[in-house]
Amino acid sequence: MYTSTTNRRSFIKKMAVLSAMTAAATMFPGIMFAGEQEKNLPKGGNLDWKKAPCRFCGVGCGVLVGIENGKAVAVKGDPKSPVNKGLCCVKGYHSVMAMYGKDRLTKPLVKKNGKYVETSMKEALDLIASKMKETIKDHGKDSVSIYGSGQWTIPDGYVASKLFKGCIGTNNVEANARLCMASAVTGFLTSFGIDEPMGCYEDIDHADVFVLWGNNMAEMHPVLFSRLLDQRLKRGVKIIDFATRTTRTSMAADKSILFLPQTDLAVANAICYEIIKNGWVNKSFVEKHCNFNKGLTNMGYGLEDKYKFKDKPEKISFQDYKKFLEDYTPEKVEKISGVSAKDIKYMAAYYGDPNKKVMSLWCMGPNQHSRGTWMNNLIYNIHLLTGKISTPGNSPFSLTGQPSACGTVREVGTLTHKLPHGVVMNKEHREFAAKIWDVPVENIDPKPTYHTVEMFRALDRGDIRFMWIQVTNPMVTMPKLKRYRDAAKKEGRFIVVSDVYPTPTTDIADVILPSAMWIEREGMYGNSERRTQYFEQMIQPPGEAMSDTWQLIEVAKRLGYEKQFYYNEDTHIEEIYTEYRKHHDNKKHNMAPLEVLKENPGMQWPYVEGKPTQWRFNSKYDPACSNGEDFHFYGKKDGKAIIWQRPYEPAAEEPDAEYPYWLNTGRVVEHWHTGSMTRRIPVLHKAMPHSYVELNPEDAKRMQIKNGDKVKLTTRRGEIILPASVNQRGVPAPMQVFVPFFDENMLINDITLDSFCPISKEPDYKKCAVKVEKA
Amino acid sequence: MRKRLGIISLFIILCIAFIAIWNYSYYQGQEEAYIPIENNRPIPIIPSETGVFQRSEFALDYANMPVDENHQRSMKTYYDNRAFHGAPPSIPHEVTSERSMGENTCLKCHENGGYVDKFEAYAPVTPHPEMVNCRQCHVPQKTQSLFKGTNFKKGTIPAVGINNALAGSPPVIPHQLQLRENCLACHAGPSAPKEIRVTHPERINCRQCHVPNNKVTEDIGNFIRKIEN
Repeated sequence: MYTSTTNRRSFIKKMAVLSAMTAAATMFPGIMFAGEQEKNLPKGGNLDWKKAPCRFCGVGCGVLVGIENGKAVAVKGDPKSPVNKGLCCVKGYHSVMAMYGKDRLTKPLVKKNGKYVETSMKEALDLIASKMKETIKDHGKDSVSIYGSGQWTIPDGYVASKLFKGCIGTNNVEANARLCMASAVTGFLTSFGIDEPMGCYEDIDHADVFVLWGNNMAEMHPVLFSRLLDQRLKRGVKIIDFATRTTRTSMAADKSILFLPQTDLAVANAICYEIIKNGWVNKSFVEKHCNFNKGLTNMGYGLEDKYKFKDKPEKISFQDYKKFLEDYTPEKVEKISGVSAKDIKYMAAYYGDPNKKVMSLWCMGPNQHSRGTWMNNLIYNIHLLTGKISTPGNSPFSLTGQPSACGTVREVGTLTHKLPHGVVMNKEHREFAAKIWDVPVENIDPKPTYHTVEMFRALDRGDIRFMWIQVTNPMVTMPKLKRYRDAAKKEGRFIVVSDVYPTPTTDIADVILPSAMWIEREGMYGNSERRTQYFEQMIQPPGEAMSDTWQLIEVAKRLGYEKQFYYNEDTHIEEIYTEYRKHHDNKKHNMAPLEVLKENPGMQWPYVEGKPTQWRFNSKYDPACSNGEDFHFYGKKDGKAIIWQRPYEPAAEEPDAEYPYWLNTGRVVEHWHTGSMTRRIPVLHKAMPHSYVELNPEDAKRMQIKNGDKVKLTTRRGEIILPASVNQRGVPAPMQVFVPFFDENMLINDITLDSFCPISKEPDYKKCAVKVEKA
Repeated sequence: MRKRLGIISLFIILCIAFIAIWNYSYYQGQEEAYIPIENNRPIPIIPSETGVFQRSEFALDYANMPVDENHQRSMKTYYDNRAFHGAPPSIPHEVTSERSMGENTCLKCHENGGYVDKFEAYAPVTPHPEMVNCRQCHVPQKTQSLFKGTNFKKGTIPAVGINNALAGSPPVIPHQLQLRENCLACHAGPSAPKEIRVTHPERINCRQCHVPNNKVTEDIGNFIRKIEN
């Protein structure tokens, strides 16, 4: 296309002439200032831009929303946000369109004789309150429950916890983050005694090698992945994709290593074996800062109702640990995992090289894992053995999938055993919370009740009679879905759903409340790197839609808790946040005041003496370190992190003669979670209109399945028919299939298994046995 | 003795070389000294201006290139595949590989543009070729149907040709510059929409005369002279 006849010399000559002319031009009179020039300009394209964290994933990109005549009309990345530095992904750029779907819920709906009838917000809230009172009277306080979400803003989760745990006195508070982050939490608690990553996104700008553990970052955390690619362009960093399936991430990575499902446990241990064998252990670090522990094994998979498990940690010596690892030589692990000994040594060599800074990144791969807590522990083991932790660029980094999985579920503590600070089992923690909540300490029950899967099982059994579901879509996301859908439809169950659109979950509701979403109200989210971000109300919610926070407050008042829910309608978000901050008023977790959040693109906690903490446990950066050493793992009493002896154990249901394939589920870049928002964004729906099943090309060829052919998947739970996707977005390894879960018309979770990690109680959506046939 | 001088000096050289290499590799092998990280690096408020020169090497080619009037784009087609003004465009054609990154696929055509027979059009040039995970933001459209309808309305699109304050004065930039800092990518060459194709691509330093008119820059209120003494 170019007629590039100009050579360099003539180009430079012309340039010189040009610049001389330009210089001359500036000497002419009549030059104007920009302000004067702009005075009479039309307003087109000159929108009012307001900052918010993105509505979708846990990366927590800063976005600027363009408002015109009271409507959100455009989005761009916030260049001031240190998270995304001005870049977004396709979901973020089109996020405001998610508020304008035609079927937006604008009025409360109450089910009467099998039909939904429009009613007023007041009547609906009255009904909910009276139904709650009635249920508590008839079946006890533990028969009412709330199921929230990592998309709850901080105030939503806070008032939910205060109402249910503090006022009603039941620990029936759970959130969908149990299905995605629970293993990360138990991983942190067992290894470090305190939740959430020690590092931050800035580690990406310092690390030399990135190991992605079962993490298709190019699609799931694209903005961070672009930051990795940018670093590769500038500094030549290495990206290693360690996964079960070939994806865009594998294509972009410098090396793609495939392992068989569940064997990441063995490979991680083999890496530790190599590190010790080759003398790559950072001895002084391990001696000063680490203990060795082992726990129970053969824990089971939680498949039966009322399954209980409690780990028994036991101290071991380094020699014991070394002996245990002898079962995990690269040569032995090669046979289990399908990863060559050479590749294991390759990864170990990067972790072991003292001159390389290594960042491990993971999300649902190690978390939605029947040994999720173990897998998290094992990754920390590698970083602890080599001392590559809590310093810029040396970072085991657990990513999240929801905008406030960290901010709300993990920090506010909307899980059955948690309080905003500490756990319900601890007397001091209960007393501390009760004081701030202004409730008698006896109100807070010292016994945790149900985790998410068990909560839905309790609904099935009838132990739970009332459930309020907010900002989440469990009738698409629960594993072994059919059982729980039938449970919710049973006689004598009362379900309230607060949402913005009709979903399979509103289909089972007795009352549907229209919610105000995202920037239609005020709130805060907390992202993966401990960053709390505030957003103001920018536009009016449609119809009678009301924020989840205010819905809860209205019901709490009707239940007679006016004293605890004293908040003023105009200032309640500020009041709640100020009250919430009291729970974290210490050097290890202090949250920034609201004024600081308003002025900045978010602020990381611990926020101490006016400064955020980027690297925790490192005394150079973290003011909470008090042992006088370089590092202080203050989550544990003796200030030491724990290296865990965790073996390889098989998955709950592995392929056999009858069901010979592995079934894996996950997401795609265009859709977020169950697609209730992204499918209403035309650009995204048109790009990815429906779900599909990915097959390995060899398997497809053998079964004579072409791209687009109908394929029947059968598991012990049921069957489903999906169009085939051969050699498209992703390529599963032979004898494995992959299905995205966003499509409510093709509910893959009808056939997944509800096995979970016994420690974290997080289900394993990535592994069950399936039969594949041409339909 | 004389005879051996050669071999002895060779050994001496080898010896020195050995010591030098030994020392070099020893220091290389040592762990890097700790470099403190500077906290809170200021993030520039004004969008980076470096992009403006990115395609300047082609400026003269653009100037000399004849206009192919039969295959030029217009603002209408420009906005057809954008959800709103400033949104990343969707991909209006099929993509060969669902899985690959952009550097060996998308960028083959969209880095420098060129006429594509199949589509009877010139490939638009990307203003940010350094970002290779193209389909992080740009997605193809596989269906025309919708899941549910939408009430979303495109905001006002800035008009072309009225952005100058005086007759003949240089128009201001009416759009956001983020990811579009490289002016020539969209405003020059055969793929540039006819309404916004620049008549003088060879001048390169666009923002010498054309200033942004948007609220990216911090509002500091009215400018008031500070009078001292």
